[in-house]
Amino acid sequence: MKLYDVKLLTVTCEILAQKNVIEILTKHNITGYTTYEVEGNGAKGLRGQGLKNEKNVKVEVILQENTLQDVVEEIARTLFTNFAVILYVSDVGVLRTEKFV
Amino acid sequence: MAILELIQSNLLTPIVLFFIFGIVAARIKSDLKIPDAISEFLPIYLLAAIGLHGGIEMRNTGFETMLIPMLVAIGLSLLFTLNHYQILRRLGKFNLFDSYALASTYGAVGAVTFSVGLSFLKNQGVTSEGYITAILAVLEPVAFILAIFLTNMAVSKQIKAKKESLGEIQTESEIEMGISETKTNLKQVLHESITGKAIVILLGSIIIGYMIGEEGFSSISIVFDELFTGAIVIFLIEMGIIAGQRLDDIKKVGVFLIAFSILMPTFNGIIGVLVATALGLSLGGAVMFGLLLASASFIAAPAVLRHAIPQAKPSLYITSALGITFPYNIIVLLPIMFMVSSIVHNEGSIDLFNYISKGLI
Repeated sequence: MKLYDVKLLTVTCEILAQKNVIEILTKHNITGYTTYEVEGNGAKGLRGQGLKNEKNVKVEVILQENTLQDVVEEIARTLFTNFAVILYVSDVGVLRTEKFV
Repeated sequence: MAILELIQSNLLTPIVLFFIFGIVAARIKSDLKIPDAISEFLPIYLLAAIGLHGGIEMRNTGFETMLIPMLVAIGLSLLFTLNHYQILRRLGKFNLFDSYALASTYGAVGAVTFSVGLSFLKNQGVTSEGYITAILAVLEPVAFILAIFLTNMAVSKQIKAKKESLGEIQTESEIEMGISETKTNLKQVLHESITGKAIVILLGSIIIGYMIGEEGFSSISIVFDELFTGAIVIFLIEMGIIAGQRLDDIKKVGVFLIAFSILMPTFNGIIGVLVATALGLSLGGAVMFGLLLASASFIAAPAVLRHAIPQAKPSLYITSALGITFPYNIIVLLPIMFMVSSIVHNEGSIDLFNYISKGLI
């Protein structure tokens, strides 16, 4: 079975920044992603307790390398200064490469 | 002194005791926690109950009486937001973004505070005008919209000034772009706050309450009337826990903001009570009117402001609104406003100062 190399972009951010991340993805014609609510600790202190607006969310997107650069650049430019965001990229293999922009 | 007695007896109500209990639980690092689903459900329930009551009352009193108080409330809310901004920016030396975010947090209304106020009045055996609930719904987005509008204006002015000082050629399209960006931003905020769950459930329940009236309500009153205070109590355990967790942050907000979060609501609230009395609202109605203007928003505010003014530090406006103003409002300010309202309703506003000075001496 042949696996194709693509990138997995993982963005962990405060839940109120989720909309901004999704908007950036949509802007780059990426329609597929997975989100889940998470808790954790970091520079902005313990997150995920109390009010729903104070929770964190993890957004996972699989995309091709050339799209990745633009998306990452835009997230970094628009969100890093004002929001709690952690972002990393990993190499993953998929079966159906045509599903990912 | 009567007012101290009232504060004291207010301290011993289940609502306040459970709130303090929540703070204690958080301080001793207990793992006590209200499940997420319930703490998300309770605000919806509270707003539905408030809305139903308001709607039923409005059916009895009609719409005409509500117009002037509503317009006055909107006017005062806008005026107070501008006033907060000037105080924060000039005296508090906060930056533009924090000043506007805080100004609108304190200009906006708190639905949880409103629920506690209703139950406080119930406890005192006093009723209030139902249309104040409608004012609550209308007032919710007002302060935010003003603050966001002014922030956008200030930012585009700054950008323009920066570009001019750099000697760049300002093309027409760039200015237009800035203006149109501001417009879409405002439109989005307006849309979000009007379709936000708080306003939707509140307006929906007001309309349903208006349609069903007393007789329709009797079949659901066991849930929406008798359980109301109990539900607030459960919610306030959660609020107490969250406030307790934030207690350490209070030191970080600074003396100025602590003083602001106590003095500003007091000032706004008492003005509100006096204005409402002048408008002819009842004793309880004037207290609720004052509470609308005194309360700060801590559930809706972060959701709106984090998008509209992301540069502002949420730790400032959430901590001060939830950690300082909310406890102060429900424990101390409510009895004070009730006192002021009783005085002006019994003796006429002219004797107010006389009475207070007599009471103080």
